[in-house]
Amino acid sequence: MTSDKNAAAVEAVKNTIYRACLNLDQEKWTDWLDLCADDFHYAIKAYSPEIRNDMTYLAGSRDDMANLTEMLPKHNTDRSPLSRHATVYTVDLNDDGTEADAVTSVAIYQTRLDGTSSHVDAGSTHLFVSAKYYDKLRIENGTAKFVERVTRLDTRRLDRGSHWPL
Amino acid sequence: MPTRNAQTWREPPKGLRQGEWIDSRIYSDSEIFEEELSKVWKKCWIAVCHESELPEPYDFRTMTIAREPVIVTRGPDKKVRAFLNVCPHRGNMIEMRPSGSFKEGTPSGNPKHMTCMFHAWQFDMKGNCAYISREKEGYQDRLSRKDVGLRKLKCEVYFGGFVWVCLDDEMDMSVAEWGGQAFDCLQKAVDEEPLEVFHYHKAIIPCNYKLWHDTNSEFYHDYLHYHNRITGFNDEYFARKNSSYDNGHVVVGSFKVRYDQYKGFDSRADVSFPHMEENAWYMIDMFPGINFNLRGSALRCDLMTPLGPNEVMIEFRGLGLKSDTPEQREARIEHHNSIWGPFGRNLHEDLIAVSGQGGAMHEMAEPRRILHGRHENHTIHDEVGMRHFYDTWGKMMNRLPSDPTKPYAPPPDDLELEEPVARTA
Repeated sequence: MTSDKNAAAVEAVKNTIYRACLNLDQEKWTDWLDLCADDFHYAIKAYSPEIRNDMTYLAGSRDDMANLTEMLPKHNTDRSPLSRHATVYTVDLNDDGTEADAVTSVAIYQTRLDGTSSHVDAGSTHLFVSAKYYDKLRIENGTAKFVERVTRLDTRRLDRGSHWPL
Repeated sequence: MPTRNAQTWREPPKGLRQGEWIDSRIYSDSEIFEEELSKVWKKCWIAVCHESELPEPYDFRTMTIAREPVIVTRGPDKKVRAFLNVCPHRGNMIEMRPSGSFKEGTPSGNPKHMTCMFHAWQFDMKGNCAYISREKEGYQDRLSRKDVGLRKLKCEVYFGGFVWVCLDDEMDMSVAEWGGQAFDCLQKAVDEEPLEVFHYHKAIIPCNYKLWHDTNSEFYHDYLHYHNRITGFNDEYFARKNSSYDNGHVVVGSFKVRYDQYKGFDSRADVSFPHMEENAWYMIDMFPGINFNLRGSALRCDLMTPLGPNEVMIEFRGLGLKSDTPEQREARIEHHNSIWGPFGRNLHEDLIAVSGQGGAMHEMAEPRRILHGRHENHTIHDEVGMRHFYDTWGKMMNRLPSDPTKPYAPPPDDLELEEPVARTA
């Protein structure tokens, strides 16, 4: 691959990752899944020093994630929105530039709407989780789509958790 | 139904009797909370971790009970022991990590010893003091190592490998005796073969610990959970028994959960725990704040650590069989997470609800009545479990749950607190 093509592929990967952040921030689940290939797999994982084991907190296929988000309106959920501050640290392309591994550092903040007392809490922002995205993407016709995302949490204190993929 | 003014709002609800409501101050009063730590939490067996978290000799776990730092170790003889995690020299906490191994040395100490980093005093896995730095120079012959061992705590491994600790040396019951028949419904399922923890996370919630325990105990709140309504809420569900046992424990009986009624969910029968019926679901609520919850294929355990009158830490564990194949373990983890994980369908909803209770019942809020008066023949929406819990609480605290400024008095004789056929002798 030429360096121009490489640069374009890296930009495509970054573009997809950052668009996914915006879609997740805005709870546009369908738009998020449109950035994912049909064979996409999603997981939230963490290592626990308490039990000295790697853990999976959530995992599923593209269909599983579509189903999960479709069912959300039937559930009681903390409606405090989450927003991401993400920085793509690395993008590593394969030899022909059709696949990429990317590592993104992400801090997810929660701005309270619901709260223990919304009168007091609503509008306050706090760090919800510290994490990294480990993504695998497929690049076709200049567009990158997620094949795999592992959201690896540093945070293991998840006070109310979330009904939403991170 | 008319609204109430300030006076009628404070009056006991008409039609309900003592024992069928409690005063919200027991959830919010600082003095009562401090008293609970000494009269309840320091007097009961408390499950603190699972033996699979310290599988090898010299492994350890640390935790607190009623603010007291505790360390659990596994000795070279494989025995699990518990001690106060406090150095007898200057009162420093000996081990500050949540878990690890003493097999390797530390910057201040030798391998195979617990070492206080402050002045390098060292202790073996039985809690004996093994080394005092510059012992002779400082203490000559006035102080002996045998007189400065660690404070040993009562400790048992029981019920599927959980590690139980009691701070009270006068506790005269084993864990088996203390839990009694409350353990029976799951004993064979968890004791058939070794278990292993696959999930851990914690939450710190702004509510009293008893509010979380109440939520685990009463199922009337299934109206909160779309998942539980759609997979339950049939005749078999409403016939689930709610049984009470000595020492404040409560068991919610099983029924066959119809997981396939929730879109994307399937039967859990392929990886049922031993001796469990297909898609069964049992719950054991141990006084004062321990919960075992087995939905056929995955065991959940909640361990509560009260932090203040309006703050509790809950540690959530998920367990499977140690013998699981990778495929079986993956299935159990998925079953556990889909409902009970931090991103699962139900746990988030429960935590929202109790946070709302905490927000409405903090220390500065005016006291109010909390109702526990549902009677449905000891079935799933009967609030007998909470009535039973608070009667035990009242006895241990010598306070009347419906008016904690008064000493304990038993509820009316005909108020059903316990399932008569299920009581232990």
